[in-house]
Amino acid sequence: MSEIAAKASAKAPAKAPTRPRRRLIASRLVPYLLLQALIVIVTILGIRLLQPNDPEDYAVSDFSAREDGWTRPVTLPHFTSSRYSLADPPIYTATFTFRSGDAASGWSVYLPRFSNAVEVAVNGVVVLDSRRDANANRPDRNTPQIAVIPASLLREGANEITVQLFVWGPLKGFLDTVYVGPDAALRPAYETRTLLFVTLPVVFSAWQAILAVILSIMWLMRRHEPVYGVLAAAMMLGVVQAFAPPPAPPATVSRLAAVLLASAPIESALIVVFGVLFFGWRWPRYGTLLFVPGVLVFVVGLIGGPPLPRILFLVLGIPTVGLCLVLMACVTATAVVRRQDAASFTIGCAVTIVLVCWVQDMLTVLDIVGNDRIFVSRLSYSAMLVAIGAGLTWRFARALNQVDSFAGQLVTRVREAEERLKASFAREEERARAAALANERTRLMRDLHDGLGGQLVSIVALSERGSAGASITDAARAALKDLRLVIDSMDDIGGDLMLALGSWRERATAQLRPHDITLDWRVATPQGLPLHPELRPWHVIQIVRILDEAVTNAVKHAQARRIAVTIDTFDAGQGPYGVISVTDDGGGFALAGNGEAAGAGQTARGLRNMKSRAARCGAVLDLTSDSSGTRVRLKLPQRFPDSDMAAG
Amino acid sequence: MTEQGETGDTITILLVEDDAPTCWRLQDALAKAGYEVRSAGTLAEARQALAAGAPRVLLTDLRLPDGHGVELIREMRQRFPDTEIMVISALGDEESVISAITVGATGYLLKDAFPTDIATTVRDLVAGHSPISASIARFIVRRTQGAAQNSAEPPPGPALNTARLTPREIDILWGIAKGFSYAEIASHLGLSKQTVPGHIKNIYRKLEVHTRSEAVFEAVQQGLIKL
Repeated sequence: MSEIAAKASAKAPAKAPTRPRRRLIASRLVPYLLLQALIVIVTILGIRLLQPNDPEDYAVSDFSAREDGWTRPVTLPHFTSSRYSLADPPIYTATFTFRSGDAASGWSVYLPRFSNAVEVAVNGVVVLDSRRDANANRPDRNTPQIAVIPASLLREGANEITVQLFVWGPLKGFLDTVYVGPDAALRPAYETRTLLFVTLPVVFSAWQAILAVILSIMWLMRRHEPVYGVLAAAMMLGVVQAFAPPPAPPATVSRLAAVLLASAPIESALIVVFGVLFFGWRWPRYGTLLFVPGVLVFVVGLIGGPPLPRILFLVLGIPTVGLCLVLMACVTATAVVRRQDAASFTIGCAVTIVLVCWVQDMLTVLDIVGNDRIFVSRLSYSAMLVAIGAGLTWRFARALNQVDSFAGQLVTRVREAEERLKASFAREEERARAAALANERTRLMRDLHDGLGGQLVSIVALSERGSAGASITDAARAALKDLRLVIDSMDDIGGDLMLALGSWRERATAQLRPHDITLDWRVATPQGLPLHPELRPWHVIQIVRILDEAVTNAVKHAQARRIAVTIDTFDAGQGPYGVISVTDDGGGFALAGNGEAAGAGQTARGLRNMKSRAARCGAVLDLTSDSSGTRVRLKLPQRFPDSDMAAG
Repeated sequence: MTEQGETGDTITILLVEDDAPTCWRLQDALAKAGYEVRSAGTLAEARQALAAGAPRVLLTDLRLPDGHGVELIREMRQRFPDTEIMVISALGDEESVISAITVGATGYLLKDAFPTDIATTVRDLVAGHSPISASIARFIVRRTQGAAQNSAEPPPGPALNTARLTPREIDILWGIAKGFSYAEIASHLGLSKQTVPGHIKNIYRKLEVHTRSEAVFEAVQQGLIKL
């Protein structure tokens, strides 16, 4: 076994193992193997020590056996040849001495172990027939039997006891020493054996049933972890095997027999699957071959009559169980080398114990070791399954705890992150607001500087010079007008430039009234200009200043009598855009080739200003002037720019 | 030349303005137009002047040394409902004008208006033509939109009840806000040009909050107060 395990673990790293790696494997494998050797010794000692004691004072072992027509003296325990017929069973006959003084508690006959079934008669009257108790006949269970001998049957002195041993192959028949004596003396030994070989397996099977249900539920809820499902299947099979009453010949129900016989190899194959999956490896494709013997036994059991399935089970099923146990031992050994964790160690030790028990049973079957034919594989296997199931449940509960603490951590982390995010968001918002405020402030400053500031300075200068009142008045009016413009443009107009132009019309009309100039206001479409949701106060200020400049030019330099403002909307297929035209009937001014007024420097500066303002909000300014008047055409953009296009 | 009302009496104006040069300027412009102008620099002086009798027109500044012009307007509306009231404002900003309108003023006069414009405005006011500026009309219609949007928090600026305005009146306000003349508005809306000033007067009256209880009622109606 150790050789195979070593091979398996050496094979696992497919690349050529380096020396340190080999040393590591050895350093891990050797202690494990030593531990397993220790466990083997402990198990063997345990099996030896735990052999139940029988009351040897009442042993009846000298029988005469009549078999196949001839009689010979035998000493129990005795093996008879395997046979496949219930007719003409071997008959064991002996005498025992009854003393009526011991009859206070009544006498019993106690058979600790037999295989497969017995019929006991005292003085020719049958007192026990184990064939009626299906479970008592199972060769894999070491069921004892006890029967009270009716007092009327017993004679003072010598009595005759006859035991018919029914055997159904392929195993040999076996009859352990028979005990006849006071019931009080025999019953404790019987009870001990019943506890060990009947009650305990039932208890284990009940546990197995419960674990099977729990594991099935786990698997149903967590389909991606087939390990639970595999183990549940193995356990269910074991439960069925344990609780289904085995058919006793001649009333053979071959189907049930097939299930019962096939259960052991299939179960053991499932356990190997479990091991592979449990340690997180992929189930190899050829691994399915492991199920072949079990299925074969099953199929043969279904179609073939006894005793063929049983023979097949003996030659196919039991070696499969052994093979599976060896494979499982290899799997766990590899896992121990790789993982070095408690789970692989525990399962490895459990597998070793079961393997020892299996070897012990094999030796018993083959009569190499005489131990009164007590089979321990089933018992140890059940114990192992229960241990694994309990371990899995423990693992599951621990995983739940981890999930809980993880969830708790997660909640805390999320809360922390949320708070950090909130704080940084608030900071960011604060920063953005501060930036917006600073931007707005800068723009307002620039606007005030452009208009109000200059005009106030001009007022101061004029006052200091003691200049004529009219100039001061003009400058002060311009300052007020500009202040109103800035305040007005701050108002939320919802992207409707017409609302800003409405106010401007009022101011312009008031401004023109003293000059006796008429302001014609023509809006081509009833709704005015298209809506611009992106329109910002600084756009409005630029546009209104352009219009102011145009009107001021018309008044100051062109001596116009009539100014017309036309508001129009066009659409060249790429969305509507507005055009505002300011036309006057004044004298106009000469334009140089580059479109700038050749005349007074102030006018030239004014025109340049208008153009740069238009450019800043994405508009296009056209100016035409001749002796019949001046026309300023402001073509608004389809979309106003977000940032100053010509900042500064 | 003396401006006279329908009854033929000289039109009396009470001018409340604490800045002396501004006061002179307005007084000159109005007196030149033929009005009988009494001036007051504080609320107390204004109340004293009212003891002599109700003026036809009250022109008042809002920020006065001993109180707010709004108090005076409210008192005036209660004691002399026939008096026409206007606010004098340096900038014509919504904050001051709207708060005056809600207590009963019907328009405003810019402090730097040209003398002829000052006289014309007062004359129109007495004739029943309440002047309204584009920016004030804009403020009111923007507020009607805000009320329609049912926003949770009240918009910035003075409280204003626009619930009683009819769609026609709101249309007229839109026209004024966009700079259309009364004639253009009338033709767009299919009205007679002469009826527009009457509508505007109605608008002012509807925006006025007469009493405290009415103010509460209106607030509840508009959902500003939850009972």
